[in-house]
Amino acid sequence: MLSQKEVERLHYGLLSHIKLQGDLEFQALSELSSKFTLRTVPSGHTLWDLSSSNGDLNFILEGTFAEYLQRGSHSFILRFHRPNKFAFSEDLLLYSKRSDTYSKALSHAKVASLPSVHFQNALRQGGLGAKLVEALINLSMTEYRNTTYEMLQTSGTNRIHAALEQFPDLLHLIPRSELADYLGISRASLFRSLKEIGHE
Amino acid sequence: MNSGEKAAMREYFKSLPVYSEFFDEAIDAIIASMDSGISAEKGRVLVELGAMNKDFWFLKNGFLKEMYRSPYAKEDSLFNMIPPSSIFVNEDTLFTNQRPKHYFSAYTSVEILRLREADYLILQQEYPVEMNLIYLSGTAEIQKIRRERLNMLRMNKTPDRIEWVQQRQRELYHIMDRITLAQYIGVSRASLYRAFEKKKKYQF
Repeated sequence: MLSQKEVERLHYGLLSHIKLQGDLEFQALSELSSKFTLRTVPSGHTLWDLSSSNGDLNFILEGTFAEYLQRGSHSFILRFHRPNKFAFSEDLLLYSKRSDTYSKALSHAKVASLPSVHFQNALRQGGLGAKLVEALINLSMTEYRNTTYEMLQTSGTNRIHAALEQFPDLLHLIPRSELADYLGISRASLFRSLKEIGHE
Repeated sequence: MNSGEKAAMREYFKSLPVYSEFFDEAIDAIIASMDSGISAEKGRVLVELGAMNKDFWFLKNGFLKEMYRSPYAKEDSLFNMIPPSSIFVNEDTLFTNQRPKHYFSAYTSVEILRLREADYLILQQEYPVEMNLIYLSGTAEIQKIRRERLNMLRMNKTPDRIEWVQQRQRELYHIMDRITLAQYIGVSRASLYRAFEKKKKYQF
């Protein structure tokens, strides 16, 4: 169960992403906030995995998650989910298909989770549900856009600078081998670049 | 709008995953509300998408470059290439009411159709469910393409990235010159040339 403080954080978190109109939508948002449940995820545990069948909508209260994309036998980090942001499998939640990604806690985490049944109900009712989906798609688009900026840098050093601008604690969150994959550069190039910017 | 333009628009809507005959009436209304084609010669920046423009734009013919200002480069950088039959918008203005960080320039000569914001709002009143679903489906498609491209940009070998464009974006692969291709896949020109040399296979 969420504490009053957590419910308020969640409510304001939702409010900051959705443009509401009229008292009815405000009331609907309060009702929706009350359907979230508290979930603690120890470091290294998954929020959802490749075999998950239900897409819950998660709002991160504490901790950081990395969302991994499985490609063949290898998986690499697609994006990070941080406090006060939503974390969800796009495949499960938006497209009702098997998830190509899984999300793992990089530190001990607390999330407010909305079971997919409540999410789908809100969506069926239109109004707030449609606005919520619109907000989630827009958030994903913006995240992918920001990450694309990083990846379009041709030098490893600039990629690290761009990534650190978005996630200042990135170097402490994941091991160097994963960081090299995340940045799409070789480990040798990563170490050279880190040395260049005085981080090694 | 001429019959060719109408057919191109209809094809676009039919290609959306959400499409069914249920949407036909709303789609006809959208098409009836759209402005006739705007043409732009190669190299022209689309000033029509000014700072506060929230219209919806449909690229009927030609290719557009979506540009942005990178703090790490002296010149504006390529963010994306827009192929024909795509919707594009001032994302920052439309989603967050901010000045656009991106602008569009014609990579080839282009023909564009427009749905004005005012007309979109009228259509939304008339067909709320259909317009919401079309909007969501359209933006979800852009999001999916963005995620796929990001996966390509994560590949740490240039030949793999080239192969991805060859296979997934054939149309773009054939239209882009080498400088643009290098920018599109996020590598230096030298790295792109080395990759072609190594494989003894060239772009054209």
